[in-house]
Amino acid sequence: MTMRAPTSILPLRAEGLVYEIDGRRLIDGVDLTLTAGETTVLIGPNGAGKSMLLRLLHGLLPPSAGAIRWQLSEGRRAGVKAHAMVFQKPVMLRRSALANLTHALAAAGVGWSARRDRARAALELFHLAGLADRPAKVLSGGEQQRLAIARAWALDAEVLFLDEPTSQLDPAATRLIEETISLVSGEGRTVVMATHDLGQARRLADRILFIHAGRIHEDATAADFFDRPRTEAARAFVAGDLVV
Amino acid sequence: MIRTALRTALGALVALAVTLPARAQEATTSIVVASTTSTQDSGLFEYLLPIFTQKTGIAVKVIAQGTGQALDTGRRGDADVVFVHAKAAEEKFLAEGFSKARKPVMYNDFVLVGPKSDPAGIAGGKDIATALGAIRTKQAAFVSRGDKSGTHMAELALWKTAGIDLAAARGDWYREIGQGMGAALNTASAMNAYVLADRGTWLSFKNRGDLVIAVEGDKRLFNQYGVMVVNPEKFPHVKAAAAEAFVGWITGAEGQKAISGYKIGGEQLFFPNADQPGA
Repeated sequence: MTMRAPTSILPLRAEGLVYEIDGRRLIDGVDLTLTAGETTVLIGPNGAGKSMLLRLLHGLLPPSAGAIRWQLSEGRRAGVKAHAMVFQKPVMLRRSALANLTHALAAAGVGWSARRDRARAALELFHLAGLADRPAKVLSGGEQQRLAIARAWALDAEVLFLDEPTSQLDPAATRLIEETISLVSGEGRTVVMATHDLGQARRLADRILFIHAGRIHEDATAADFFDRPRTEAARAFVAGDLVV
Repeated sequence: MIRTALRTALGALVALAVTLPARAQEATTSIVVASTTSTQDSGLFEYLLPIFTQKTGIAVKVIAQGTGQALDTGRRGDADVVFVHAKAAEEKFLAEGFSKARKPVMYNDFVLVGPKSDPAGIAGGKDIATALGAIRTKQAAFVSRGDKSGTHMAELALWKTAGIDLAAARGDWYREIGQGMGAALNTASAMNAYVLADRGTWLSFKNRGDLVIAVEGDKRLFNQYGVMVVNPEKFPHVKAAAAEAFVGWITGAEGQKAISGYKIGGEQLFFPNADQPGA
């Protein structure tokens, strides 16, 4: 009934997505619509294609077939990409934590004084202010992950793709990242995250995509999925059985 | 009395439009309302529009934009109704002939939010100009959206009202973040800073931390909404009858009552005032 235009890059529509490598279909016909404000969690066994699907949606890989359509072309707002990706192992520039933010803002065309303001606001918001001058590469895994999310926030990303953001972190650092994700989604941003941690999926997801062998086997609200998984594979996965 | 007569007449018009098979596009009538993101984000439309549609059979599609963009959408004839909150700009729209009448609908208000510790010593005040003066004098941290939104514009106008030349006064205490309302509130919460927020977003904001309302209730914090039908003489494709029905409903007894009934956390967000002359 209502639409938000032309300021939003959403909805995103993926149609008939296929990704093939050496004749193997890693993504095998995915149709998907993402609307604003939801936290969608991709779960499924290792090698299911979760990470690959995130990369396709973010535009890091060209699909072998099918199409990805953002409401605004390429998911750009006023020429600047309004979706960001946070990787399992965060990508840090060989600079201070602060400079990792200001550099990204400069690349997005934000003026000098505005980028200082925004970068410092982001460091405070994500509890990194004390580490501003530290080289980003010597930060702990959890701190780097928070800095990567802070960078997406500073760029005012409307959509955040996160690929197993806590898989290499201890429980305390994981909890901080989950709080960070909740904070960002509480601002109305759209989060799409891959995880193999079912507890995490339960804690964060509004919607679950259960992925198996390159396909979406279930697309359901988190409550429906965990209470009443419809497919045998999903039931086994939720029950903790091995799914191959 | 006149209102009732008008509504009856409008109702008849709509009924006519719906029963005329020759105008097929009117048979399943839907209108486009150009409005603002803040109205959309408050959840008001999701509450209000189904009531209107059920009553009249007229579907409403909302395009949520910045105020200036919403008016421009009307100027291009891409909307049947414009529903925004910028009286001066609305009057310009009227003067240019893009609509024949503007009607007041309701108001909501902004609140100045800040940390419980209240470093500027302004908590409980009713005078926004004095409060902003104290923030500036004490150089207390202030987060500005800095995103050219309606709320950002309102904030800039309030500094001016307070007699403060921001260009000269701004320093480290004034942080422009170029982000939306939720992000600005989160940042203020993390920095123990003051921030101007629309009450709707504030009420639905969960991560308040130590933030509380410092100043509210000043008339200058009120935000008047007006509604206009796009002039069908300029754009013959404007669905005038259905658009008039919408305006009639939202400014009439039933629509006004529905507006009062919209609450978040038990608090009323919008105050209907279609009857208030000059609003």
